[in-house]
Amino acid sequence: MLKLYFLLFYEFTKIGLFAIGGGYAALPFLYFIQAKYQWFTVDELTNMIAVSNITPGPIGINMATYTGYTTGGIIGSVIATSAIVFLPFLISISMVKLIDKYKACNVTESVFLGLRPASCALLGSIGLKLLYDTIIYSKPEWSFPFQVDYKALILFIILIIPFSFIKKNPLLIIILGALGGIIIQHF
Amino acid sequence: MKKVSLWEIFKIFFLIGIQLLGGGYVIVPLLKKYIVDERQWMSEEELIDYYAMSQCIPGIIAGNISICSGYKARGILGAFAAITGIVAPSFFSIILLANILINVVHYPIVQNAFWGIRISVIILILVTIKDIWAKSVNSKFTYTLFLLILLALLFFHISPAIIVILSALVSLLYSNLAGGKNA
Repeated sequence: MLKLYFLLFYEFTKIGLFAIGGGYAALPFLYFIQAKYQWFTVDELTNMIAVSNITPGPIGINMATYTGYTTGGIIGSVIATSAIVFLPFLISISMVKLIDKYKACNVTESVFLGLRPASCALLGSIGLKLLYDTIIYSKPEWSFPFQVDYKALILFIILIIPFSFIKKNPLLIIILGALGGIIIQHF
Repeated sequence: MKKVSLWEIFKIFFLIGIQLLGGGYVIVPLLKKYIVDERQWMSEEELIDYYAMSQCIPGIIAGNISICSGYKARGILGAFAAITGIVAPSFFSIILLANILINVVHYPIVQNAFWGIRISVIILILVTIKDIWAKSVNSKFTYTLFLLILLALLFFHISPAIIVILSALVSLLYSNLAGGKNA
């Protein structure tokens, strides 16, 4: 158990340090943790992400609390949540002290030039993998022939059409997904 | 200047945490209302600075900006009160929801709902990719970097931390070689 807590602390400290730019930046790390430790299944993780989206509070904190709770109970969730804010806490405070001397973040701008495409690609690989697992699948992975889950494909098309031109509203799309799931699976 | 009480800081950030739904940027108008306008713990200019900074340092944006604002109001202890306050609503609501869900997850209707929600999550991820893409993948360098990383991730099992470190280094190198001219 102690080892589990240590691993939780280590992995979530890493997320705190390397997931830069919004709550979704933590997603690739969570899927990586899933593949590495199998503390939860891919489906469970995706459910946790959905719940984190519709619960009050920053998404990244919600995801840390939830995955920590699933893995190691209340203590696990306290550890994961503290770990994810631990290093940013120290960094933020030092930056406030510095910010009066050096306005804005010119140094980081050149780093960000490459970091944003990187987080785009990281999320892209997760998006493709989830699409592959839910709509098209095959055994073993990435082999022919493919099978298509037509119910999933239909729901995907129904949901993505309005959302490609409406402003992103996580609550609405999750409610519609839940309703769509209940209706489509009924037939 | 009168010392702000830690309990007050915790309370305000707890209140803000309850109202936070969705992306981290939602916190900015809330901070403006509760901290800048109603309490004057910091100026609007500082809020804008902290927001810009929170995006370019590690960590969750809403968390970082709360830490900065709490620090501004009452030093290290203030920062601690602020982050605890912003995290607390997440913490309690997630644990409450998790316990409810564990009890109902075996009902077919709940499973079907979650089956549909998983497709919603894919769409949320795709929309986020589209947003980041529009803002940042717009030159030969960024396009190549994106493709290389995506291909590497599809074929190999690489830690996201390695990807972040490598792309930061490549980007720094590129910016220096390009001599400041923005790609």
